[in-house]
Amino acid sequence: MSRTISLSLLLAATALPPSRAEAQLRVVTSTTDLNDIARQVGGARIVSRSIGQGYQDPHFIEAKPSFVLELAKADVWAFVGLDLEIGWMPLLIDGARNPKIRQGGSGYLDVSKAIPVIDIPSGNIDRSQGDVHPLGNPHYWLDPDNAKRIAKLYESKFTELDPAGASVYAANEESFERRLEAAEKSWAPELATIKGKPVVAWHTSWRYFAEYTGMNIVGFMEPKPGVPPSPSHLAGLILTMKRTGAKVIVMEPFYDRKTSQFVASKTGATVLILPPSVGGKKGIDDYINLMKYDVSQLAAALR
Amino acid sequence: MRTLIIVMTVAVLGTRQTSAQRPDSTRADSAARARADSIRLVRELEAMTARGGAGQAPRQAGASNPRMLPDISAVGDLVGDLSPKGSTQEDGSRFGVRELELAVQAAVDPYFRGDLFLGFSDAEGVHVEQAFLTATALPWRLEARLGRFLAPFGKQNTTHRHDLHTVEHSYVVQRFLGEEGLKNTGVYLARVFSPLGFYQELILTVVDRIGEAPEDLVAEEPANKKLSGLGYSARLRNYWDLSEASNLEISASAMTGRKEQPMAFGINDINAALARQTTAGADFTFRWRPLEQGLYRSFILQGEVMKQFNHGSVTLPEPFVPDDYAGPTRDFSGAYLFARYQVSRRTFLGGRYDWVQDPEADGVSLTAGSGVLEFFPSEFSKLIASVERRSLKGFGGTTRFLLQASFAVGPHKPHPF
Repeated sequence: MSRTISLSLLLAATALPPSRAEAQLRVVTSTTDLNDIARQVGGARIVSRSIGQGYQDPHFIEAKPSFVLELAKADVWAFVGLDLEIGWMPLLIDGARNPKIRQGGSGYLDVSKAIPVIDIPSGNIDRSQGDVHPLGNPHYWLDPDNAKRIAKLYESKFTELDPAGASVYAANEESFERRLEAAEKSWAPELATIKGKPVVAWHTSWRYFAEYTGMNIVGFMEPKPGVPPSPSHLAGLILTMKRTGAKVIVMEPFYDRKTSQFVASKTGATVLILPPSVGGKKGIDDYINLMKYDVSQLAAALR
Repeated sequence: MRTLIIVMTVAVLGTRQTSAQRPDSTRADSAARARADSIRLVRELEAMTARGGAGQAPRQAGASNPRMLPDISAVGDLVGDLSPKGSTQEDGSRFGVRELELAVQAAVDPYFRGDLFLGFSDAEGVHVEQAFLTATALPWRLEARLGRFLAPFGKQNTTHRHDLHTVEHSYVVQRFLGEEGLKNTGVYLARVFSPLGFYQELILTVVDRIGEAPEDLVAEEPANKKLSGLGYSARLRNYWDLSEASNLEISASAMTGRKEQPMAFGINDINAALARQTTAGADFTFRWRPLEQGLYRSFILQGEVMKQFNHGSVTLPEPFVPDDYAGPTRDFSGAYLFARYQVSRRTFLGGRYDWVQDPEADGVSLTAGSGVLEFFPSEFSKLIASVERRSLKGFGGTTRFLLQASFAVGPHKPHPF
């Protein structure tokens, strides 16, 4: 009897969230996608928030002092890396004065370390090539395989910082992976529709999504990463779209739609505004919904 | 394939070793088991590779900076003056390299970061703009710096001149703190706190002196001979998020120190007296930037007001008498208001109104109104065209046309906030 009670108490203690807020790991992430996956893995054992919003360009987040206060209390600072946040992260890290989240600290989590990165430039690079990321393309979260890697990384980090929650993190991670795999099966027919179809993207942010879905990016609205489109570039792009039959321009909500609409009007294409991150559109409040929405919208546009 | 060969080799070697040690009766079984294990392992590896799934090995990149070289960057600041009645630049140039700044920055060790900024200009030659060591591992949200740094006084002075949204500092900053802003050398201590639920930061400094020692003024003793002669400053920042898209900062600053002030004439190479000068100021910055369209639209409204107190005690050197004192004997005030609106991704329009009781003209009011067109070809270059009408009360006005081109090479730096 006493053994049963002890076992029940132990189970209850494991299942219930920590009663004191300070017992929870405080996680701050740079993007909403990292935030959602952190919540999926951490469950009630963490409190997590994102600096950036899903409808905001993550390259150009303002280093507001209110973010400094969040980071000052953080146990974990999880960021995309590959220089995506280089325009604002150093100011926040310096301002926070929190040794835990400085490079080398226990809570400094460069998520890109778990990712097989694509588009790593070779040879000599300089800024004449635009706002190039020397360490590779940082927009890796739009591939579910990478989302699983991120979840595994979180499981490992949270377990390291909170060993008592190891079993919870492992179970949550497994559950996230199972749900994501089930969702992937549900949208497999739509992937078949997308595969090989020519599209144009605004920025290189859709490269991982293209690798996953099989969509064929035949051109970018930006002549070089981070450089706004010029008339001569658009003229060339219109010719490319006509030649390849690209009928969809994929872009994020934070870029100028007028330019894309102009190109679409010249080519008969559709401008497809896709949320690049969780929260990028009202109702897209978790990672699986984000992928489901983006895949289904793209497939519908390409049908 | 390479993995397959390695696994097969290990499996075969393992099988041979096992077979040499065990009796013949078990040899066949163990060989079969080893073969099965190795095949299973290979199948797993193949499956992992084929699905490219979560089990795939993560990026195995080495250090991106194996020699631990510091970040080295340079900023060029070029100015043109097309004012109709001649150049208004100090050196009379129509086009000039106002400054070239070379920055070397890196972590020194687990406890400190080092930041060195060297300035090169035709007027000043090579000089140390800033050079400070920052303690990065202090408790209680403290930050300490030791060295030369931009004086944490007011809002505009904490920004490098080439990062301003106007060609020059506001006149109140130029007249009270210096044309290039004020840099001090000493100790800097700052703490972030939020007992009232919003961001606050208190910054205290103790410095060798306020600003640089004037080359042409010699006092009887160094300004810093007594501890009371050192420079002291305090700044309290308060910041609020008004909404997701807008925020407000209201701050106050004060500093005091002894400075050399001129005497009407010199005796035995002494031509200056030491006088306390205290400056107090308040500033505000309102920012609006909608998150979704923040690449294309933003607005800043910024203002500062300062007052310089010169009524402190003057230590006259022997045998001077009070009538020989030629330094300031009154207080001066000044302020500016600046607004900037973003009209496209790369283009901004701004305007500034300045008013200051000019210490260089015995407190006569100087007013100026200017318009600014700012264009960013990229994050790393900036072009400014500015027109300004400046008037000194009773002395008429001057119209100025100024151009600026600044560019940065080297690693990506954080955008100033």
